[in-house]
Amino acid sequence: MNISTRWIREWANPDVSDSDLSEKLTMAGLEVDRIAPVAPPFEGLVVGHVVNCDKHPNADKLSLCEIDIGADSNLQIICGAPNVRKDLKVVVATVGSVLPSKLKIKRAKLRGVESNGMLCSESEIGLSESHEGIIELDMASTLGENIRSVLDLDDHIIELDITPNRGDCFSVLGVAREVCVNYNLSMPSINYKSEQKGTRLFSSKVTNPSECAKYLTRVIEGVDNSVETPKWMAQKLLRASQQLHSPIVDITNYVLLELGQPMHAFDLKTINGGIEVRSALKGETLELLNGQTVSLTEKTLVIADEKSAIAIAGVMGGMKTATLENSSEILLESAFFDQISIAGIARSYGLHTEASLRFERGVDFNITHQAMERATELVLEICGGNASVINECIDPQSLPALEPIEISNDKISKVLGFDLEPSWIESKFKFLEFEFTTNSSNSWTIKPPSFRFDIRIPADIIEELARLYGYDKIPVQRLSINANISKSSQAKITSNDLSSSLVNRGYKEVITYSFISNEMHELVDPNATKILLKNPISDDMAVMRSSLWSGLIQSAKSNIRRGHHNARFFELGQCFTGTLVEDQVQKIAGIICGNRHDSQWSGSEREVDFFDAKSDVEALLFLSKNEFTFEAAEHPALQMGQTAKIIKGNKVIGWVGALSPKLQKTLSMPNSFLFEINQKEIEQGEISCYEPFSSFQASQRDIAIVVSKQITADQLINSIRSLKQDDLVDVNLFDVYEGEHIDEGSKSIALNLTYQSIEVTLTDEQLAEKVSKIVAHLELKFSAKLR
Amino acid sequence: MIKKIITDAKKAIADAMDLKALDDSRVLYLGKKGELTDLLKGLGKLSKEERPVMGEAINEAKVQIQKLLDSRKSELEDIALTKRLLDEKIDVTLPGRNFEKGSLHPITQTLNHIQDIFTKAGFEIEIGPEIEDDFHNFSALNIPEHHPARAMHDTFYFDSNTVLRTHTSPVQIRTLERQKPPVRVIVPGKVYRNDSDVTHTPMFHQVEGLIVDKEASFSQLKGLLIDFLRAYFEKDDLKVRFRPSYFPFTEPSAEADIECVICGGEGCRVCKKSGWLEVLGCGVVHPNVLTAVNIDPNEFSGLAFGMGVERLAMLRYSVNDLRLFFENDVRFLNQF
Repeated sequence: MNISTRWIREWANPDVSDSDLSEKLTMAGLEVDRIAPVAPPFEGLVVGHVVNCDKHPNADKLSLCEIDIGADSNLQIICGAPNVRKDLKVVVATVGSVLPSKLKIKRAKLRGVESNGMLCSESEIGLSESHEGIIELDMASTLGENIRSVLDLDDHIIELDITPNRGDCFSVLGVAREVCVNYNLSMPSINYKSEQKGTRLFSSKVTNPSECAKYLTRVIEGVDNSVETPKWMAQKLLRASQQLHSPIVDITNYVLLELGQPMHAFDLKTINGGIEVRSALKGETLELLNGQTVSLTEKTLVIADEKSAIAIAGVMGGMKTATLENSSEILLESAFFDQISIAGIARSYGLHTEASLRFERGVDFNITHQAMERATELVLEICGGNASVINECIDPQSLPALEPIEISNDKISKVLGFDLEPSWIESKFKFLEFEFTTNSSNSWTIKPPSFRFDIRIPADIIEELARLYGYDKIPVQRLSINANISKSSQAKITSNDLSSSLVNRGYKEVITYSFISNEMHELVDPNATKILLKNPISDDMAVMRSSLWSGLIQSAKSNIRRGHHNARFFELGQCFTGTLVEDQVQKIAGIICGNRHDSQWSGSEREVDFFDAKSDVEALLFLSKNEFTFEAAEHPALQMGQTAKIIKGNKVIGWVGALSPKLQKTLSMPNSFLFEINQKEIEQGEISCYEPFSSFQASQRDIAIVVSKQITADQLINSIRSLKQDDLVDVNLFDVYEGEHIDEGSKSIALNLTYQSIEVTLTDEQLAEKVSKIVAHLELKFSAKLR
Repeated sequence: MIKKIITDAKKAIADAMDLKALDDSRVLYLGKKGELTDLLKGLGKLSKEERPVMGEAINEAKVQIQKLLDSRKSELEDIALTKRLLDEKIDVTLPGRNFEKGSLHPITQTLNHIQDIFTKAGFEIEIGPEIEDDFHNFSALNIPEHHPARAMHDTFYFDSNTVLRTHTSPVQIRTLERQKPPVRVIVPGKVYRNDSDVTHTPMFHQVEGLIVDKEASFSQLKGLLIDFLRAYFEKDDLKVRFRPSYFPFTEPSAEADIECVICGGEGCRVCKKSGWLEVLGCGVVHPNVLTAVNIDPNEFSGLAFGMGVERLAMLRYSVNDLRLFFENDVRFLNQF
């Protein structure tokens, strides 16, 4: 909310500067986002009267003016504005004055004629961008008076960021109350009473009193809505960022800003019969003041005449019954609508108005009459007319209950951590307009004022006391030491362990959005359940990712486009295959493409391949010391024949493979290799357990065999291991060869066997026997031939 | 005779330009058929009186020549070594082989930094789901339907009851559902708001903190957060101020500002000329929140706080554009 400090000071005027006032409000919880002067600094500008205005003898577009500024002699000033004319009151910058643009006014000659000053436009004195003409002052302005006081320019506009609990501060009255509480000033009491000459009765009824506990209307006849809104009112409205309309509408807006009570004025002649506040009927429609026609739902509270709805209660009036320039009979409305029903209505129609904002945060239900009187007073003063009696529909049962709240000083001390003086507390209660009684045992019973919807429980009162005491003055204490020692297992593999492992292998971590495009979902993980956002930011961010690959591919792609071809990225993050907790799985994934190393002085470059990705995966898997296997498999995003699923026990816990040629083409990606693992499956490691090692010499034996290409490395090694041969401690596959000297469809495999006994040094004969058993086994099982 | 041998040997040893030549000299003078050996062999022919005199002289000569040989040998070895060292000289400024610089994302580094500080103060780390139900994200946190605070959250919905969490606060509820007080946890994680412009990304990170204990006061909350902010920015005299604010799930609620770390409180573009930067929100847990998880607010008090990780990272690393964190440009990532 924007509001001028001048307006606040009409109600509460502490002896401090505007910037101190603004700082105080911020520190009291009414955050001032911005404070800006209404006009930049300038001096020496006064009111002048155009006594004479003739054409400049040597220039068509210039006027030669004689200006009276209340001094001994008149000034001759040349002016180029199109609107300058005789008998105008204008802003005169006299010789020696300095404008906001730092322009110093000097005596000058324009086309041979002397000019002793300047007549100013709004832009020249920094009031607006408008330089369409010079400012035309009120004819009642006193000659020679300082412009800053004439136009009330020593004023600031403060922009308040009002929190949802402080609906009471959406008005000058509310802010002034805060100022009074914080500066220990007494708040002026209000008692508006307007003259009541009219005799028109008007019938109104409320069908849903629980949603509208008070509904007041008043007829004012014989108004003139074609007059101009007075300057004092217009200025306050404009400084509150409120646009000007007609005097009647401006008055309702003024009362809303001044007292916080939304008001509405209907053109009485457009209303058929009396008014009923009721729920909308099925199929009912309404054209609103903003030109929008809405279909009303049955939950909507409306103001209706005998024929149809004419306004959405507490939100916006209808077009048909709006006051116009020629309206002469009006019906003023001042009501109290229930917070929750207005909030629901405003949101369901996407209509957030000044009125709905206030109603949904709570409007003082004891100001309804005063607002009606205030608005009436202003209408009669500005537009004339006769006001009739106020018609009332009030259901006291439906008004918010102000239950007494018990609060003890002990509780206050416990929550705040220090003691407040009871006398100080009571003085603050008085300023806050809390009704209270002091109980025997250092406690109070409090009834909050009707405008404070946020004071309902003891914690609310403690907060009031804390903020008035000043958060900054509250002493600082330390938490007592927490003696509970955190239970964390040494065997647990943390996200940091995994990240460090990849970072040490040259990976850069990325963080990408959890929502991806439908296209990426279909390409990368089409078989996963698609979790769609109901209200995405854009189509590119519409589906929750089930895999991290989409973001990784895009990160690699955008970096490649910028010339960084060797990508090594990883990401850790939640992936989604449903909206339940168990459908949200933390994964770790990576992508590599380009060359294995950046080009270097030593050695040749080579492109990354499957086994680079696999070794990185193995580095992660190794951390947990569990058993994992890789099995050839197919995945929609990966290339057939270069894809493996990662298996732990019987469970697929991840994938590694080459990005499929189809996706490479669709996504304009180079050869890339991807991996992804469910983090939960690799986070449980083992505590190391020492096993004694042999002190006898180990012996190495190499064998080379030729087998069919279909036989996998794992098959050979697992088969050898399955023999559980004594003293065989390691099997290492160290060469794979296909080509010359090897039959088509076959490959040569070289294995290194390590033997070591815990008891003796093995003899050559013993070793030869063991190796030949393995060869025989491989011959039998895989038709392997020794080379 | 011996004198001449010594003189000759001296010259030969000095003239030897490599180890081979030096060894030839050794053989010539001290070898089995060397000149001194020959003299020794001839000792028998000398008289009883001459023998010891001559013997001693020969031995002295042997020792002397051996010394000369040793000294020359070490000279020659030094020369050879110097030559080898020159031959093997490399350019040590060439880069090490096959080094790729990996890096943790600056947000992760910031999260780690925050977590380190709090875990030292006895906090446990909790995480929670990013897709939340209405109860955990709103109702249990004292944000009933139609509460104005809901409208301020710009929530992403899946259906009327399921949302992307708008803050890490639901993990407060999940923690208290599972664990009885005393509780002292922090919750790092991603949160989502349907808002995207220069200063907002639809996904960002928060760290939430929660303490529930028999004695937990607003003064302690102030103390904890001032200590945290000073530790985070590594500045012992960092100015911190607390302002009243509003969150539905805390009361009293506060926002904490630090003196602008960019301009030192003088006023600049980053702090909007105020000299202060808002860095976190906090408060005493609202009794309704404790009641929602069956904790008696008369017996226990709670303290809660929450901070935006991107904001803290931007201030710490002088990053001036929030969106850089999610563009993953290596020119950006390489700097952390």
